[in-house]
Amino acid sequence: MAVETQTAPRGLRRRRIRPYQVVQIVVAVSITAFLLYRLQYVLFVDDLYGLDTWTRFLISGLVIGAVYAVIAIGYTLVYGILFMINFAHGEVMMLGAFAAYFVFEALGAIPAGAETSFLNTYPIISIILAFIAGMSVSTGMGLLLERVAYRPLRGGPRLVALISAIGASLFLQNAAQLMFSPRRRAFANPDFLSRGAGFEVMISGRPVLITYTGTFVFVGSLLLLALLYFIIQRTRFGQAVRAIAEDQEAAALMGINVDRVIAQTFALSGAMAGAAGVMWGLHNGIVYHFIGFLPGLKAFTAAVLGGIGNIPGAMVGGLVLGVVEALGPAFLGLDFQLKDVIAFSILVLVLVFRPSGILGEVVAEEKV
Amino acid sequence: MSIVLETQSVTKRFGGLTAVNSVDLQVPEHTIASVIGPNGAGKTTFFNCITGFYIPEEGDVLFQGASLIGIAPDKIAKLGIARTYQNIRLFNTMTVIENVMVGHHPRMKKGLIGAVLRGPSTVAEERDAYRMAMDLLRFIGLKDKADVMARNLPYGDQRRLEIARALANEPHLLLLDEPAAGMNPQETAAMTEFIRRLRDERGQTILLIEHDMRVVMGISDQVTVLDHGEKISEGPPDKVKRDPRVIEAYLGKPLEEDV
Amino acid sequence: MAIRNGTRAGLIFGFIMVFLILIGVPETINVILQEATTNIDVETGQVINTAAFLFVMGVVAGFAAARKEEPDPLSGAVLSGLIAGLITGATTGLMIIILRSLALSEIDLREYLDKLSPTAIESLALRLSPILAGGAHVLIFALSGATGGLLNWIGRGPWRGPVGQMISNTRDRLARLPIVAQAQNSPITRYVVWAAVIAVVMIVPQFLNDYWSFVLGTVGIYVIMGLGLNIVVGMAGLLDLGNVAFFAVGAYTVGLLTAPEPVGVLWDFWTALIFGIVLAGLAGVILGVPVLRLRGDYLAIVTLGLGEIIRILIRSDLLKDFTGGPRGVRDISGPSLFGLEIGSERTFLYFILVGIFLLIFVTIRLKNSRVGRAWIAMREDETVAQAMGINTLNYKLLAFGMGAAFAGLGGVLFASRNQFTGPEDHTLLVSINVLAVVIVGGMNSIPGVILGAFALKGLPEILRQLDEYRVLVFGGLLVVMMILRPEGLWPSQRTRLQFSDEDEPVPIELSSATSAAPTPIKADVEEQKQAATR
Repeated sequence: MAVETQTAPRGLRRRRIRPYQVVQIVVAVSITAFLLYRLQYVLFVDDLYGLDTWTRFLISGLVIGAVYAVIAIGYTLVYGILFMINFAHGEVMMLGAFAAYFVFEALGAIPAGAETSFLNTYPIISIILAFIAGMSVSTGMGLLLERVAYRPLRGGPRLVALISAIGASLFLQNAAQLMFSPRRRAFANPDFLSRGAGFEVMISGRPVLITYTGTFVFVGSLLLLALLYFIIQRTRFGQAVRAIAEDQEAAALMGINVDRVIAQTFALSGAMAGAAGVMWGLHNGIVYHFIGFLPGLKAFTAAVLGGIGNIPGAMVGGLVLGVVEALGPAFLGLDFQLKDVIAFSILVLVLVFRPSGILGEVVAEEKV
Repeated sequence: MSIVLETQSVTKRFGGLTAVNSVDLQVPEHTIASVIGPNGAGKTTFFNCITGFYIPEEGDVLFQGASLIGIAPDKIAKLGIARTYQNIRLFNTMTVIENVMVGHHPRMKKGLIGAVLRGPSTVAEERDAYRMAMDLLRFIGLKDKADVMARNLPYGDQRRLEIARALANEPHLLLLDEPAAGMNPQETAAMTEFIRRLRDERGQTILLIEHDMRVVMGISDQVTVLDHGEKISEGPPDKVKRDPRVIEAYLGKPLEEDV
Repeated sequence: MAIRNGTRAGLIFGFIMVFLILIGVPETINVILQEATTNIDVETGQVINTAAFLFVMGVVAGFAAARKEEPDPLSGAVLSGLIAGLITGATTGLMIIILRSLALSEIDLREYLDKLSPTAIESLALRLSPILAGGAHVLIFALSGATGGLLNWIGRGPWRGPVGQMISNTRDRLARLPIVAQAQNSPITRYVVWAAVIAVVMIVPQFLNDYWSFVLGTVGIYVIMGLGLNIVVGMAGLLDLGNVAFFAVGAYTVGLLTAPEPVGVLWDFWTALIFGIVLAGLAGVILGVPVLRLRGDYLAIVTLGLGEIIRILIRSDLLKDFTGGPRGVRDISGPSLFGLEIGSERTFLYFILVGIFLLIFVTIRLKNSRVGRAWIAMREDETVAQAMGINTLNYKLLAFGMGAAFAGLGGVLFASRNQFTGPEDHTLLVSINVLAVVIVGGMNSIPGVILGAFALKGLPEILRQLDEYRVLVFGGLLVVMMILRPEGLWPSQRTRLQFSDEDEPVPIELSSATSAAPTPIKADVEEQKQAATR
């Protein structure tokens, strides 16, 4: 058999560059160039904002980012185990915020002593009660969602489950609107955690306020994240979750009750969303039916940014997103109205350039 | 006899695992070449390197003399390589004939505008594709089930339909991934006969992956044995069958057998 | 058995009733019924309507409870219905006792629960004192629950078999008649049917006033957008939630090119129409290049984000000079044909209808072509489609671009008919509406899209009081449809065949998870079983 073929030199990979890669490179280079230009502009040319203002941005970004991280954990947990985006997660958070709002309203109406209410006489107990209420409602909601909208569809085409999730999200949002009216309500914090109060720090000669609520939310979020990390890494439940994420069938064969673990995952993810909702209410002070939508989308962005399915990734992604979003408009010289555009642009850019996120494995390509 | 496909020390790694290690293989025209090996020997990975779904880290894949490295899977299909899957992957909600017509996709030209205007040339192309698909269905004996939903076919028919879909590509090289998997002895025999007919009646060049020795030994012109990603034996079936390394790979070391 | 089934259904329905009361459904129905029956005085009507509503709900609860009972004896069905009714009644009864007591002591609950107005509570309590009202609820639900159980038993009675047989026999015999069989296959029949449909559709607007022409026009625009999204979602299997972005491109193109402000070029409508469609399609392709490489679920979120970005940008001060900011664009011109102004709602409706027929034609042609097959193959299994030689990225782009162009056309028509477009026309809700139209009607089915558009955009116009529940119902429908009938109300021929191996209709069940597994999964399980037995 005499065959004539041109052989490529061994070890030499001929690379065919596709047009899309050229576009990718061009976009990446121009974005980098623009960012560098803005960096030097902000540092050396423009002195619109002093160091104190930047610190304020950074602080608010860290606080919001911590809440994003807690919500993002919920997305990542469910995605890690079911490869499904729980679209209604933001709504679960909203319901948690409402539950806490009602608890505060009720406790605020209970008189305790002269001229004060239960809420202000026993603020710690009140806050604990609010968290218990918010987290229970959200946990229940997570379980209900899984049972009604997702479990019957498990194993079916992904599109079907996703549409169901979108439907559930719309349903919950509008149910809340119908029940509680579309009115924006002020979240009545206990006095010692009232919004706007805080420590003052002097930065470049000007006072920068670190609010109590902000501190509370940031520390609370970090504690929750640590707790969750412990649960996943150290408990039997966490082990089961990781086993199912690895291989559902094998896990079932090893005697893990897959249905139960999935339900528990939804419960845990709901509890996290509920806690996030309570903190959101405490810090931002407003509840209405729509507060879950944007934080939900942003937290999803955070989860993708960190690498979806990856728990430390969600934490990192949340904080990074919060900070970038807070610093972004000033840094890029954009209007603050466009804050949300920055978050979504990050989502698109991450998915285009590094779908696996900061800490994730490559999941964007399906197995052949 | 010219060589249709040649791989030159193709190597594919996943992290630390070398799934395919420096495999050389030649498939001459109008022959059936087989790659056998125990489960996990890297056979399907090897297929994926040929069809462009994986890009091997080292080595080259030459199809009719030209390298396939870095070419997208759909372009490779268009060049004339068609494949089937170990776990049948038909387009379930399409009818039998539609499945076959999808296989013919790279041999058709009409796009969006042709489809909307549906001029005489589009009608002619569709009609030709339909006839070609019907001929193939007649060949595999599924003519009467042309309008049945693919998922409603019995297992054996699905296997053959998958092959017909690949044949609709009019490929120079047909890759069959364990066509007899999950079949009982009678069905296996029928499938073996069917593959033989593909070569003898249609002159089809075939590269076959199997771990069932019975299928391979009866019809192959040449057999390559993989184990842990490496080629351990090669040659005509009779020779390979007697190769002690092959026997060892399949049955384990004789000593272990005693234990 | 009866006790367990009854308790289960009772608890579920109790929960549902509490939810319905909280979102104000009983009162809304009461108001609708009062408008329909003007000869009864308000107070009597209040009691009768509410009692009727409760009774109907009880019948449903009883029916659902008895569904799992053995056909014999009768007592099982009735007992389970009765128990379900009692438990539901006890739940709502308890609730109404609390609500009525609070209302009577003049505590206004609307501060927290918007729908619980004093009138609503009064109706719900049937104008009785708290305890009596609670008792009345238990009584009504017990009676209606038992009735529901009985109805269920009757529905499954021995006579049902022969009658069903007769109907299907007659149908078969009709279908076997040579004339019918011949007519079904003949292209002439097809042309005649189409001609008839077109004729009817073209005549109907003559009998409509401006208001109904306007409503039907809106439905029509949603049909157009639905047909576009159907290509993207139904055929190519790409879940696109950013349809509104392209709708906005179309609307603003025609707005900016034909309106006196803010740009003021005052182009001709037809030029603007073509520009709108082409620009929207182009935007789809350009946005599609990075986005379509992503896996399906990411695609949904990213397109959703794109839709939001568009809305924010339109509103923003950044583009205020181009888009008019929150004020929007006014005085957008309408089309004129041979010097004839298409001004009235009715003529515009004709214009939309022509568009619909054109798009239906295009969709049908595409569906049965190389392109359509490639799309469907891609939806079924992208990897295999690629291995079959389909350039998946190009075909995705094509589908996405087509969907975008259709949406752009929708936007052009919408803006030009309203002579106005502003940021509030381009919310996420538009995308969701269109998605619901496609999915509720049946993916990849043209009659389904039309039916879906009528059901989701037309019905709320007829029953205005229900408008506030529209999105809630959309959401619920999406979930329920996915669980019970993923193929939609009017599935396409191909999909209908797909599900034809299931003779028994899937029972409607509120605790959806228990038995109604979606059909695709069932088929998979069967496949696995087959594989296992081999």
